[in-house]
Amino acid sequence: MNNGCLENRKKEHDNSQKRPKSYKFGSKSDDFALAIAKVAVAQLCESVGFQGFHLSALETLSDISVRYIYSIGKTANLSANLAGRLEGNVFDIIHGLEDLGSNLGFSGASDVDRCVVSSGVVKDITQFVGVSDFIPFAYDVPGFPVVKESTKTGSFWEKGEDPPGEHIPSWLPAFPDPETYATQLSVENETMGVSNGKKTESELERVERKMDRSLLNLQLRFAHNENKGGSSHGSGYVATESNPYLAAPLHVGEKEVSPVVLPTKLSNEVALRNPVHVDVGNHVSVLQTFAPAIEAMKSGLCDSDNGKKKLLYDQRPTVRFKIGIVKKSLGTVSDFDSQNEEDLLKIASWFGNDNEKADKKRRVEKIMKESVESARNKIQL
Amino acid sequence: MNHNPQSSDGKHDDDSALSDFLASLMDYAPTIPDELVEHYLAKSGFQCPDVRLIRLVAVATQKFVAEVASDALQHCKARQAAVVKDKREKQQKVIYLCLLSFLISFGLSDPLLEQDKRLILTMDDLSKSLREVGIEISTLPLFLYFSTCFSIYDQIASIYVLSYIVDCLSSL
Repeated sequence: MNNGCLENRKKEHDNSQKRPKSYKFGSKSDDFALAIAKVAVAQLCESVGFQGFHLSALETLSDISVRYIYSIGKTANLSANLAGRLEGNVFDIIHGLEDLGSNLGFSGASDVDRCVVSSGVVKDITQFVGVSDFIPFAYDVPGFPVVKESTKTGSFWEKGEDPPGEHIPSWLPAFPDPETYATQLSVENETMGVSNGKKTESELERVERKMDRSLLNLQLRFAHNENKGGSSHGSGYVATESNPYLAAPLHVGEKEVSPVVLPTKLSNEVALRNPVHVDVGNHVSVLQTFAPAIEAMKSGLCDSDNGKKKLLYDQRPTVRFKIGIVKKSLGTVSDFDSQNEEDLLKIASWFGNDNEKADKKRRVEKIMKESVESARNKIQL
Repeated sequence: MNHNPQSSDGKHDDDSALSDFLASLMDYAPTIPDELVEHYLAKSGFQCPDVRLIRLVAVATQKFVAEVASDALQHCKARQAAVVKDKREKQQKVIYLCLLSFLISFGLSDPLLEQDKRLILTMDDLSKSLREVGIEISTLPLFLYFSTCFSIYDQIASIYVLSYIVDCLSSL
């Protein structure tokens, strides 16, 4: 029996197999233990006289052996707890073994008053140990599961520091180094030193302070830049375009299609013909107001409503619906404009400016639907 | 009450035998590694720092597995002995030739010609030997597995053919 081969096969099997999480002996964390059990059982089978095995049989047997250990432990623990002990001893384990072997039977099982010391099970095991060959396990097994030790901060008392205030007891966890959080403190100290006019600090300390301050300034600038960048670029949609992790997931069989140019163009036209939003009180240019909605459409934020249509839309070549939409959507948009303008305004006033975005999104979705439908019609024709 | 008259000497003997056995486990390293047993015992809630007890459980498990495996080995040997007997008869049957052509079209080889003489632990033998211990395992029939591979028309045809194959192979 080749153990390397076994491992390869095991890996393949593990990849293909998906077990439910609730399964106690098949959880992901238990894979290592089960693999070890498989190797051990395979060695035992080999020692018995088998020359090969089916993987399913080996897995079943290793699973059963693992359950055997588990149930021995459970019964032993039960009897130990019943006797009022936390830790089990030999007799608990023998009791567990007798319990498991009771359906098979062992010598002296019928005797009610038998002593656990002279149990037939133990005699059988002793005999087995004497008869069986000594086969060491093929690998060196490290202790598992590995428990990572968490690094503790330590209290004031453990660190040997005095807490900064009297109201803070010394058993509380210590503060981190003041350089990491004190922006105000260093500046205050500096000003105090200057105002007092005392040049008590050594040269070294001043240099250190300067460095700290420059570091803080740098951090502040970074933070500022980040905020600025976020606001100037509108929202995270740029990130969604560039960052593949923020993009909408592809469905099975779906191919990634480069973003279509049409919606932008189309929505520009829509925007030009539909200046309702500018009237509502938002003084941003039309293109900008629509940009988030367009981008949202592109990146698939409106997927929740018409995910299937989006999928269709992505799969089709762009040219096909390009012809259809422009006419149809323009017509509907003009209708939209003339008839529903007041209603829209009303709705907008109900929901306030916050819902503008949703409104835009809805429109874009409508346009999308139309485009897909027209494309479908074309195909049918 | 069926009291077993046991002398104090006898008890003492058992006592010393048990302690001797446990002491001998210190040197004996079972095939099932201590870490595995420790892990599953901890999982069950049993806690004990004594290595000897862990070894005792390991040896007990080893005994159990070895018994089941040797039982399966006997089943396997019996099956192989039975095959050799009616191998000749089967090879002359017309229906076997039909089965053979079907198997060859699937890229498989003649099961009787290339009879695996090796002793292989199979699910069949294992389930038989486990049943004697009191564990029932049920396996999925082969044609159910195959039914996921073919279309519906193939399935209807293949169920008939495969059920025959299963019968044939299981009697090999």
